[in-house]
Amino acid sequence: MDSMISAAAHALAAGDPLGALDRVALRDDAPALALRGIALAQLGDFSRARMLLRRAMRAFGARQAVARARCVVAEADIALASRELNWAAKSLDAARATLEAHGDKANAAYARYLEARRLLLLGHPDEAERKLDQLNPASFPPSMTAIHELISAGIQMRHLKAAAAHAALDRAGRAAQRAGIPALTAEVDNTLQVLNAPAARLMRSGLERSLRLGEVEALMESEALVLDAFRYVVRDAGKTVSLVRRPVLFALARALGEAWPHDVSRDTLVARIFRARTADDSYRARLRVEVGRLRAELRALADVRATKRGFALEPRRARDVAVLARPVEERHAAVLAFLADGESWSSSALALALGASQRTVQRQLDALTASGRVQPFGRGRARRWIACPVPGFTTALLLPDAMSIG
Amino acid sequence: MHTSSAEVTREYGPLPDVEGIHGVTYDGRQVWFATDGRMNALDPDSGRVLRSIDVPADAGTAFDGKHLFQMAKGRIRKIDPDTGRVLATIPAPDGQVSGLTWAEGFLWVGQYRERKIHQIDPETGAVLRSVQSNRHVTGVSWVDGDLWHGTWEDGASELRRVDASTGEVLEILEMPPGAAVSGLESDGRDLFFCGGADLGVVRTVRRPQPVR
Repeated sequence: MDSMISAAAHALAAGDPLGALDRVALRDDAPALALRGIALAQLGDFSRARMLLRRAMRAFGARQAVARARCVVAEADIALASRELNWAAKSLDAARATLEAHGDKANAAYARYLEARRLLLLGHPDEAERKLDQLNPASFPPSMTAIHELISAGIQMRHLKAAAAHAALDRAGRAAQRAGIPALTAEVDNTLQVLNAPAARLMRSGLERSLRLGEVEALMESEALVLDAFRYVVRDAGKTVSLVRRPVLFALARALGEAWPHDVSRDTLVARIFRARTADDSYRARLRVEVGRLRAELRALADVRATKRGFALEPRRARDVAVLARPVEERHAAVLAFLADGESWSSSALALALGASQRTVQRQLDALTASGRVQPFGRGRARRWIACPVPGFTTALLLPDAMSIG
Repeated sequence: MHTSSAEVTREYGPLPDVEGIHGVTYDGRQVWFATDGRMNALDPDSGRVLRSIDVPADAGTAFDGKHLFQMAKGRIRKIDPDTGRVLATIPAPDGQVSGLTWAEGFLWVGQYRERKIHQIDPETGAVLRSVQSNRHVTGVSWVDGDLWHGTWEDGASELRRVDASTGEVLEILEMPPGAAVSGLESDGRDLFFCGGADLGVVRTVRRPQPVR
């Protein structure tokens, strides 16, 4: 390896793409092409970066397996950064095996980190965690430790473990400082901002305030009966009931939860649940039916008691009732609520869950895509939708109200 | 770990009227180093400064294969290295700029403190794109083999060869007392060019043959 390549590679490892280009910008040999590609990726020119890496791969030829495998890993990184999640996981896996077999442990680990990031982005935090557990960051340079801890923080945030997420971010921050890579430090800072930003609204006994992730975590571990408007579930310390496919019942439960310990009048309920101006007899009959259904669903958690003017929620064990809602409620909130679980949804699955037509759901998804709240990937029947920013990734784009706490 | 004295093959300078060396660039034939108000072309074979170009220079230097680009006080000057003529002057982006390079047909200006990188049309100086890098894309490491860097602590300088993946120091070349290293460049063969932080000196140090 000649020393210009070596110096350029060192500059890249230190997060100095311009310094790397100083050395190799005028060269067209295979290693120089690869380094130019990586540098351009760090400069944010993904399409040119990808072109350069492909040229490098061709120039390396079949015999330089390690170099080609590094190109594959770099290309997968670019794909992840540009949110193309339908990449060939197989070719990344093969590249990782090649790197491992040739003793390039750092890049093999990096390939695994990419896979973990992709899994987290696709809403599989448990699988991402399993990938992460196979790696020991202590044996890697600081930049890799920082990446490891950033992913770990993202996973903990998904699991609602704010303290663990803070600890991971602390370690990520220290490692990023040691690595001296400004982009990594920025990524840690952004994730920290998200972690400290309002994650939800709490409505309790008629009062309302915003909660940070740590407070959400504490609420979930408390004895209270929680009506969780993120995931459409009702839970107390012992049991969870999902109303994810019963949006009307959840709306009813939530209205009662917000008023607890007081009751809610029939008129208010009819207006809120059915959007009707006057509660005529037919609406009152429908309300009775829905209350009966809710009572059946919540049997283990709470009773729905009839009062003189309406209905009231009466928890069985819990001594407190709290409604947990998105920091900002908006149009298409229902679609976002489903996507907030981080799973990738097809529009037909969303339509089923929402009780709406697929065309309606598609229109909402188009509107949400245009405002950057959701992201499609795949084509045709394989097209899936995910809620946009996931902790630890598009940190620059992260908006607190889009954060998943599921 | 192997420690030896650095073999300084040549020491150039101190140059008169040179406060410090801002940038070192190797164009494949000559080493260009920017000092205040001047760019100097050093011939690594003869060790002589072949030419000096009087041009404002207080920041990055770049080379596109044909022309030199030198940044100073909000301007980037395009210079013909053969004649020393300034062919064009284009505006540099506002703010604290900390790096200039040429690549893929464009000039790139880094503002590391703001984590911003600007892509610039080398003809007009128009900023084509500004990237705020908030995510570290491709941490794929390409370093294997020798990785050298210079240190300067407590008045003593060393050139160190380290294991790229672990950071373990494998070899140390001790610079002579007082010979500080502020920038390290290689000629692609067996020499290092060390920009001296002190007194505007450039030294060449022989790179030891790799022992494997």
